[in-house]
Amino acid sequence: MEKNKEYNGVYLPYIIRWGKITGWLGVLLSFGPAIALYLFYGLLPPASAILTGFVSIAGAVGVIWFIEPISYFPIIGVPGTYMAFITGNISNLRIPCATVAQNVAGVEAGTDEGAIIATLGMAVSVLVNIVILALGVFAGTQILAALPKSVLDAFNFLLPALFGAIFVQFAVSKPKLAPIALAIGLIFSFLVMKGLVPSYVTTLISVFGTMFIGVNMSKKGII
Amino acid sequence: MDYMEIANSLPLWIAAGLAICLAIFQAILFGKKSYESGKNMGLTEHQMKSAMKSSFITSIGPSIVILSGLLSLLVTVGGPMAWMRLSYIGSVMFELMAASFGAEATGVKMGIDPMNEIAFANAVWTMILGSIGWIVFATFSADKMGKFQEKFSKGNKAVIGIISTAAILGAFAALVSPHLLKMNKNSVAAIAGGVIMLVLQLLIKKKKINWLKEWGLAIALFGGMIVAVIV
Repeated sequence: MEKNKEYNGVYLPYIIRWGKITGWLGVLLSFGPAIALYLFYGLLPPASAILTGFVSIAGAVGVIWFIEPISYFPIIGVPGTYMAFITGNISNLRIPCATVAQNVAGVEAGTDEGAIIATLGMAVSVLVNIVILALGVFAGTQILAALPKSVLDAFNFLLPALFGAIFVQFAVSKPKLAPIALAIGLIFSFLVMKGLVPSYVTTLISVFGTMFIGVNMSKKGII
Repeated sequence: MDYMEIANSLPLWIAAGLAICLAIFQAILFGKKSYESGKNMGLTEHQMKSAMKSSFITSIGPSIVILSGLLSLLVTVGGPMAWMRLSYIGSVMFELMAASFGAEATGVKMGIDPMNEIAFANAVWTMILGSIGWIVFATFSADKMGKFQEKFSKGNKAVIGIISTAAILGAFAALVSPHLLKMNKNSVAAIAGGVIMLVLQLLIKKKKINWLKEWGLAIALFGGMIVAVIV
């Protein structure tokens, strides 16, 4: 098993070591702007204000800090998790790029080769995204101001189209499992709309519900 | 001093730039290692280059979406924070929420009261503290989740394959469902994106048009958008 040795013996340890270094460094560098405000302008909010801000944001999104890495792990694996949670934009950018890259290279998701190709794809998407955003920040106000409002409004439809397209891309390969996944998604989104369950529940239950049903269907030889 | 002058000052550009450099450094490091190991594992250069090219093409559409949300952040927290927060973990909705929570903790209602320096500083603090939760948990748990998955699947390749595909189906069913339930142009865009993808997939399979694999998602994305605008 030469391939396996390369992946588990060389590649993964390297990724884990550097993933941890870059991850913790990322946490430190996150504080850069706050430190700069203090050092250069003497601006430091009172501790009580920082704490209040933290408590309100933690109350609003704290659960998602745990839910998202767990829910997306089966898709992006170890290297992808280190990368995606520093650079963000997971569902709208990293996963689409990873899946297209796998599809083009003809490798399966979940395999070692699949993880390598997904990581390559995600790395490219990180660089492209940063460049486009940099252009946007430096020239963005002018560019965006020059675009008519109808064009800006149209951009709002890119995301639903993307979600629909990716779902179908994989539905084609698992036509029996896809309707079940969609049913779970629709039911829980409906419950969220009615205010009966919090919105993060939808992703969690859809991912793990579909996984559970999929594994059982596969064991019974249905898919 | 107007808080916007501070928000767009050189020290903040440098601080934001450093954080972004780390993301670039990590992407290059991981990318290079993947390329090297991929070669050793028997992936061809053609496979890997076309994977990278397709990812490049696919990145453009979603990046434009992120860009179009940038404006609202630019005018509230300035260029450096907007640039850093959107290149780093974060999304426009989340950052706006965090910024307004932070400002409010100093008694400033964003969008109603004028922002002052302390309110801005606290907005920055809240955006940071709100976003590192993801990095901390992901960095801490990535390798542990890997071990857990290995144990759970017992190295059974078929099970691992079905887990990934099922997870994608579940995740994107959850993401697309709210748009479908809205019964508006978003629903049209989601359905149109899906239908276009279906046609493209059939074309790729039947006619073996390989460049379509690389462009498929970009076509479905913009196609879905155009259909939603026209209908």
